[in-house]
Amino acid sequence: MKLKRFQYLSLRYPSFIAFVFFILALLVNLYFQKSLLEPGTINNNMRVFLPLILLTTGEAVVILTGGIDISVGAIVSIVSALLATQVGLNGTPDKVATWFVVALLVGIIAGCINGFFVAYLRLPPFITTYATSFLYGGFALFILPQPGGGIPASVANVYRAINPLGLHWAFYVIPLLLLIWFLIRQTRYGRYLFAVGGKPQAAYETAVPVDLVIFSTYVVSGFMAAVTGICIVLLTGTGNPSIGDPMTLQAITAVVIGGTAMSGGVGGIAGPIMGAITLGVIKNIISFANVDTWWQTFVNAIIIVAALAAPGVISLFRRNRP
Amino acid sequence: MTLSLSAQNIVKRYGGVLALSDGNLDVNPGEVVALIGANGSGKSTLSKVINGVVVLDGGQLLLDGSPVHFASPNAAKKLGISTVFQELSLVPQMTVAENIWLAREPLRSNGFVDSKEIKLRTEELLSLFEGTFKASMNFDIPVASLPPDEMQIIEILKAVSFKPQLLILDEATASLDSRQVQRLFELVAKWKDEGKAIVFVSHRMEEIFQIADKYSVLRNGKTVGSGIMKDITDKELVNLMVGADSIFGYSRAEHQDRNNPARPVRLVVENLKTDVIKGINLTVREGELLGIGGLKGQGQRDLLRSLFGDIPHEGKFILNDKIVNYTHPRHAIKDGVALVPGDRSREGLLSIRSILENLMLPSWTNYGFPLQMRRSRQDGNQISGSLNLKMAGLEEPVSSLSGGNAQKVVIGKWLLKKPRLLLLDDPTKGVDVGTKAEFYRLLQQICSGGTSIIFYSSDDEELIGLCDRVLVMFEGGIRSELEGSSLTKSNLISASMGASNGSKE
Repeated sequence: MKLKRFQYLSLRYPSFIAFVFFILALLVNLYFQKSLLEPGTINNNMRVFLPLILLTTGEAVVILTGGIDISVGAIVSIVSALLATQVGLNGTPDKVATWFVVALLVGIIAGCINGFFVAYLRLPPFITTYATSFLYGGFALFILPQPGGGIPASVANVYRAINPLGLHWAFYVIPLLLLIWFLIRQTRYGRYLFAVGGKPQAAYETAVPVDLVIFSTYVVSGFMAAVTGICIVLLTGTGNPSIGDPMTLQAITAVVIGGTAMSGGVGGIAGPIMGAITLGVIKNIISFANVDTWWQTFVNAIIIVAALAAPGVISLFRRNRP
Repeated sequence: MTLSLSAQNIVKRYGGVLALSDGNLDVNPGEVVALIGANGSGKSTLSKVINGVVVLDGGQLLLDGSPVHFASPNAAKKLGISTVFQELSLVPQMTVAENIWLAREPLRSNGFVDSKEIKLRTEELLSLFEGTFKASMNFDIPVASLPPDEMQIIEILKAVSFKPQLLILDEATASLDSRQVQRLFELVAKWKDEGKAIVFVSHRMEEIFQIADKYSVLRNGKTVGSGIMKDITDKELVNLMVGADSIFGYSRAEHQDRNNPARPVRLVVENLKTDVIKGINLTVREGELLGIGGLKGQGQRDLLRSLFGDIPHEGKFILNDKIVNYTHPRHAIKDGVALVPGDRSREGLLSIRSILENLMLPSWTNYGFPLQMRRSRQDGNQISGSLNLKMAGLEEPVSSLSGGNAQKVVIGKWLLKKPRLLLLDDPTKGVDVGTKAEFYRLLQQICSGGTSIIFYSSDDEELIGLCDRVLVMFEGGIRSELEGSSLTKSNLISASMGASNGSKE
């Protein structure tokens, strides 16, 4: 049975499709930009890609358990606004450290709010996090009405200019994320994530603390969104209260092309990380191919619709086979 | 350690509905008690009270003589009570081992899951059913890729892995084939010797007599009888369940010459192939009741579904002398083909909608615009009357009906269309004997009206008792055709197992 085997493979190696996409995008990019594989270019690219990669891993955990978090972009915006106003261009290293910690706490609190609504009040995650995204987005604009402010250049340069052992920080952060994920999968909590995503009722009857697991995923996603915010402020050096807005759809797209089922229970973070890099590469292609930037949103939207529609299209063709 | 349990005068209400008014059950170490009752009699509820899934509203549970109260299934599990659920509690995307040990994974000293230990323990459990699996079974494959019978076995193993002192098997044999059932019974006998107490909930009379030591019969939420198996006959047991003497017993008296060559041919299938089926030829005549038998998962379901245009297939169908090729159930329905699917709650019914809506669903086009509600209600009443549907009213949701009555609605919605070919996919699965007997009469009635029926059943008895002819399927093909005097239980079983003696071919 062909479908069974495909099903089996996609359960076993959910990131396979992401890998194919990744290679394809890379080849096209190479065609437009011959210098793509030079160390300098790679470091430059990864520096730009890292924020989305971080955001994607958090979103992946939520989607894995069958939820969705649409407020992540707004949390990124809050952090950007917070750091730009509170640290300032002349902030001391102490101040920077303090507000980095505060930013992470803000992310966790935002995640707790989402998690409380979704897990304990049993509200639908889509609507809930869509609503909280306006709450958080509004809060970001309240802190910083217009783009401006920033963090000291010396701090930002640690991210922008320093490449330990010739490799950008991203090359250390990504393996670290994968290692953490690998370890989480070896714990009960890791098993719970898959069980809750697969069939919550069965998980509940088997004594899995379903509500707590769902709650925790939104906290993880809020936390990762805050890390993303810090990362993006380091990258740009300035604040922007709506910088996260376009990132939500990108993160969800990256998770989907990373092989995580929107219905939950299948996936991981390796695929979504590749998905995030793929999206970054597509962005490159679009800028090098000299087309308008709105194409980027268009392409993202096409990818997500295609990824969602693929299983349906396959079964439609199977059904109508003469 | 052993455990004896006594449930006394249990009362349980769901909203305003009294599911149990006086449920009683006593089970002692080393004993198998059959909990018997028609659908909707409260036996599921009673077993759920015992394993802590629902909280009782009255009465008491005594464990080794002292009263207990379970707030959750976990509380019961900790005391050694484990359940094999009828609706599987497995996560399809996770592997066999992950499912069995979910939330109880053996941990290493550093807090990580001990995969080696899990593998060992899982293989030990799987070895209990060794030889009944298809070759692909191992601890590391996702449950979603297993056939239903093997999923059921994993569910059983999951319950057993708790090393319970009291094991509740709630319709655990419903999707198993006879080999697997035998293995389960061997295991039950072993557990019994080890002093475990076992509650066995089943509709299959034959299994109950084979395995149980005692019985406890529920009717309308009340325990109406209990005692020792040896002292009772199946007829008496059924009478206890249905509360009336008349219902059971269907006869083959009306079996005339339905397969008479003089009757016009309704359907010819030539060389049907799907992913599972490897070339099937068959002929059904007008008014014939053709049975399909065999072990589970030999392609019976695929046969019915491809006839209905529901799954991709190759081959030639000739219906009423016309070559047809259905790519969508809609085409099949238009030609008077109807399918009563195997999973009635998922494929057959809109459970939160009313009985009337469910009955009318395929037929609304006949009721004009705006819909002629009064006429539809009349027709609904007439059909539910002829089906002897036990309901509070046509406006009640289907979910308020018991399993057997819900199945009647599925059949009823097609009867309104007056089908010429009726495909039945194991329609009596999980239906109590009383309703079954009504069913059999109904099927006979439909046949005598000229409709042809293809009837797949996992219950050998009813195939023999009801059908004119039985095709036994094995590994995607027809192993043998049984008819007349060759249609006996031993022939049917041996053909199911792949032997071909007794066949007409």
